[in-house]
This record gives sequence, structure tokens and C-alpha cells, in this order.
Amino acid sequence: MKIIKIAWRNLLRYKRRTLLTSALISIGVTLVIVFGGIGNSFKNEVIGILTNTNLGDIQIHRKGYVSSIDNLPLDLTIPEQTLPRIEKLLSDDPDVKAYSERIRFGSLISNFSQTTNMRFTAVYPEAESATCPGLPQRIKTGDANPCTFIKPGWIVIPQNIAAGLSLKIGSDVVLVATNKDGSVNGLTLRISGISENILGPQGKDGYMHINDAISLLRIENGGITEIAIKLKNFDTLAKTYSQLKADLSQFKEPEAANPLTMNTSPNKQAQAGGSILEIHTWQELSPFASLAQIVTLLIIVIRIVLIFIVLVSVLNVMIMSVYERVGEIGTIASIGTLPSRIMALFLTEGLSLGLLSAIAGSILGSVILLVIGAAKLHFTFGMMNLMLAPQIPAGEVLLALISVVIVSLLASFQPALKASRMQPVEALRHV
Amino acid sequence: MSLVTLENVGKTYITGEIPVPALKGISLSLEAGKFISFIGPSGSGKTTLLNLIGCLDKPTEGKLFISGVEINLMNRKVAAQFRGDNIGFIFQNFNLIPVLTVYENVEYPLIMVQNVPLQKRKHQVLTLLEKVGMTEHKNKYPSQLSGGQKQRVSIARALVSQPKLVLADEPTANLDHATAYNVIKLMHEMKKEFNTTFIFATHDQKIVAEAEVIHTIEDGVVVDSRENKSFAGGK
Repeated sequence: MKIIKIAWRNLLRYKRRTLLTSALISIGVTLVIVFGGIGNSFKNEVIGILTNTNLGDIQIHRKGYVSSIDNLPLDLTIPEQTLPRIEKLLSDDPDVKAYSERIRFGSLISNFSQTTNMRFTAVYPEAESATCPGLPQRIKTGDANPCTFIKPGWIVIPQNIAAGLSLKIGSDVVLVATNKDGSVNGLTLRISGISENILGPQGKDGYMHINDAISLLRIENGGITEIAIKLKNFDTLAKTYSQLKADLSQFKEPEAANPLTMNTSPNKQAQAGGSILEIHTWQELSPFASLAQIVTLLIIVIRIVLIFIVLVSVLNVMIMSVYERVGEIGTIASIGTLPSRIMALFLTEGLSLGLLSAIAGSILGSVILLVIGAAKLHFTFGMMNLMLAPQIPAGEVLLALISVVIVSLLASFQPALKASRMQPVEALRHV
Repeated sequence: MSLVTLENVGKTYITGEIPVPALKGISLSLEAGKFISFIGPSGSGKTTLLNLIGCLDKPTEGKLFISGVEINLMNRKVAAQFRGDNIGFIFQNFNLIPVLTVYENVEYPLIMVQNVPLQKRKHQVLTLLEKVGMTEHKNKYPSQLSGGQKQRVSIARALVSQPKLVLADEPTANLDHATAYNVIKLMHEMKKEFNTTFIFATHDQKIVAEAEVIHTIEDGVVVDSRENKSFAGGK
């Protein structure tokens, strides 16, 4: 207690220097917390939009599908005979909230005078809205009811396509698609909804009922190309992913007689190997994962900068403090203060400086985040409208406090050691 | 009874590559409970000798015993503990800790060196402050005190842990005549009160006159040791 009191008074002895150093450390901690809060808020907001409106948290495909996903191949489907087993696996998994079976394919869309290409995802509406609850909310015109937003004979198209082809709710369009055998078929459908452009590359992703896809693509058996999975708790992503991956590895290649396998190219059969399925988290399916990693990297860089700020600041103050108090160190040593106590005194000074500055920075950073959160700032990222709602990152605050404490101790160590090793008779000559 | 015994003690400093002898073959026996003064010109080795007796430094030759303990064999930690338990220091420049009040400066050896419990500590500190007449200034910081007051606090700090030996290096050098006289008088009173041995290194004739035993050092050698026949016992 006495050591803390003496340390504190020694810090206050040079008020201006202590305040400047403390302000520097506090600003560093504030930056880490504010940037951490905003960065994580941005990441979580975008991840939430991506997983809730389109990707789901995890997806299951036929092996080799994701590497060919740009072509949306119809020959790499999940074998029909394995679907019940997968459905049971997902239904029995306590961490899985919902799943949605999908058929994804490319198609031409025509308003009878103009034609463009689109990517369609054919779904069962109730399963899809349970897996991607944000999807119906992004339908800005037309039926946005989660249970009926996709009906047989109707499609949802993005705003870009609707504007480009002058389509409105109720407009008829013709879809022309090539099935897995290479034959072309067409189907007339009607626009039931127009969504925001979030859903796919260049805003060209549309939705239709799975029965219409089966009809358009003349699918006789199965045809499911993708199963999107929604978890009850996003934090269990890694654990559930590992568990499902292990379970799905049991789904071996069907017998050679399976027509699905026979139709697959030899190259793809070889690629399929042992397990017939592949599983990916959203990170592996979205380019935003790289951006999220960059944000995480930036947060780490700022943490490293903070560490250097604390290291240099505390080291500077403590070195100055030792040099200015050589005579005093000689006095307390001659009185009989043990070297370990002299060391503890200087370590306490450095620690107090770092800890109190970090606490001040944490409070300031948290207040700034609360103000930003209360302001409910909106901004556009790509085609997404995001709201900045940062929360105080408790982990970040704790990490900053612990880092500053450790670095302060490290920075104080050398000056404290120097002070404790001073020969009293030498030090007293500086009085 | 001998408190400090020096057997052929020498101290040589190495300046660059040149050995500079500061003390040469000093053999002395300093009795407990005395007021002892080392006198001599500047550079004669008085402070070096006090540093050796105070366990702040080690002799390069000979043996030095304090209360029968050979200090040559002590490492830094043991020497610090020994100083804390047995020796008090009074410095020419007072050497009070500027961030501590008068009370806290006197309390320092008890709390940081000897770990004396709070109630006992408080009693000892207040007793010493009363003895040196600094009770009313106990909450002041050293910067708020005069030189004489600082030296009074310094004396209280040196005596608060009830050491066997108090070493004072030029304790009156920075004080005016009247203040120096009062400080010497106070040290005499403290010596009587606590039966503590006081050893001084000084030029000050006032202190010399008050010493019971006077050792004269010249060029690192004790050239004269004598009882002070005119010693008045601090009166």
C-alpha cells in the first residue's frame, strides 16, 4: 500500500510529463476500442446480411461443386438417395435451426422484346425464409410474406433486372435454361416481387419455387445442388461445421450403377474420391470473408501500434525517472530498503501509469462507442445499406487493459532493475 | 565494548587504470555509546571510512566488524538488511524523500525496511518527532522546511528504527551557526536518550568540540586518536 502511495506521488511529481504520457496511452487505448467496436460492428452487420439473406451459415454441396460454382453446374447435384439421410442428420442436430434445399442455375430472362441473363435459386419458401430470414425483408415491392414470397409460377427478381427490362409486379417473363443433358427449355412465369440488389454478383440473382425449376430443367430425380443451413447460435459455427463435416464424410460415393455418378465426367468422379459431399462455412463462400480478415488484421495492427506507444512512453518516463532520482535511490538504499523493494517501487510506478491511462482510455473509448451507437449512423457499403451500431467490445477492452499492464511492466522492468542494482555509495554522490 | 572494529582496513579505487588508495591499513576499535568524530582535510578519506562502516561499500583490504559481524562477507541484500536493522544515516544534504511528508519520511524505515505494525509505528514516529521538535510540522513536505528543520527530520528518521549506530557525514555543513549548534545539541540528547553510538565525519569545529573521541585522518591514514578532554557532554 505504501509502495503504491509513493509510486503515485512520484508520478504526480512531474505532472506535465505524466499527463502527456498518460494522454498518449489513453488515446491509443481509445483508438483500439473505438476501431475494434466499429470494425466488429461493420463485420457483424455485413456477415449478418450475407448469412441471413443469401448464404446461410453453412452450405452442403456435391463434392467439386464450389470450385465450379461460377458455372452453376447441374450435373453436380446431391444424390437423391442421400437426401433423406442428410435431412435426418440436420433435423437431429441440436445446433441447426433450419435448412433449405436449393437448385441453382443460370437462365435467360426475356420480357418478349429484350433478353438478359440471370442466376436463379429455386427454393421452398418456408424453408428458405427460416434459413435466410432476412431475404423476404429485402423484397421491396410485391409479396414479402415469408411463407408465400415464392409461389409456383411466380419469381422474384432484383431491382436492376426489373429496371433494365421494364418489369413490374405481375409482368410476364420467359425463362430459357439449359438442363444437365444440354437440352434447352423455356417457361413463362410472372413477377411476384422485386428485391434489393444485394442478393448476388451484379445484382442478378432471382428466386423461384423449386417446382418451377424442376419443370424448367426437366429434372426427374433429385436435382438439389445446395443445402443452406442456419444455426441457432452463430458462435457455434466452427463446432457445428466440424461435426457436420465428420458426419458427411461417411457419405461415400454411390455404386457405379448410380446414373448420377455415371453422368458425371471422369474427371469429376476422380475428384469426388471417398466422400461424396463437401461442406463450407460462409467464409469460404463469400469474398467478404477476406475483407473481414483485413478488418481483423487492421485491428491487430492498431493493437501492435498501441503496444509500441505504451512501451516507448512508459520506458521513456521510467528511464527519466530513474536518472532524475539517482540520489533518492541512494538514500532509500542506504536506509536499508531491499533491492527487491526498490524494484517493486519503480515497477509499481510504471504499472500505475499504464493501468490508469488504460482505464481512462477504456472509459473514453466506451463513451465514444455509446455515442456512435446512439446516433444510429447509416452508410452504404457496396449495394448494402448498413447501420453502424457498435457495441462496447468487452473482450477488446479487457485485452487492451491486460496488454497495457503487461507492456507497462515490461517497459518498467529495465529501469527498475537498474535502480535496484545501483550501488548506494555511487548513487549518493548524485545528491 | 567495541561496536566497530577495523583490522588493517584499506580501500583503493581504480581510476581508469590507476589505483588510487583512499584508506591505508586502518586499525581501530570504536566503542559503543560514544560520540565519535573523524576529522581531516577534504579528500583525506573520512567519507570513504564512513561508507565502509555504514556497509555502503566494502574494503579492498583488511576486515571490518560491526557488532561482531564481518561486513566484507555480506552480499547486497544482506548488507541492506543489516543497515536497516543496525545503522541510521544523517546526510549533509538531508536527503529527505521529497514526495513524502515529515511524518512519512520518519515512518519510511519502519514501513519499508522493518515492517513494523501500524500502532507501534505510529507511536515510534510521533515520539521521535516530539523529541526533535517537529510534531507541528509533521504534515509538511521537505520543500516547506528550513535547513535546520530538515536536518531534525533526518535525525528523527535515522533514530526511529532504534539503530545501534548513527553515521553522520558533515551533518552541519549546510546549516548556519545557530542551527548547527542546535542540531548538535539535539544529537547529544538523542545519544543520551537512546544510548546510540554517533560517528561523524566533519570539518566543523563545533562538532569536534562536542565529540568524546576524535580521530584525525590524513591521506587515508589515521594519524591521531584521542579522547576529547574538553568534552562537555553536550551541555
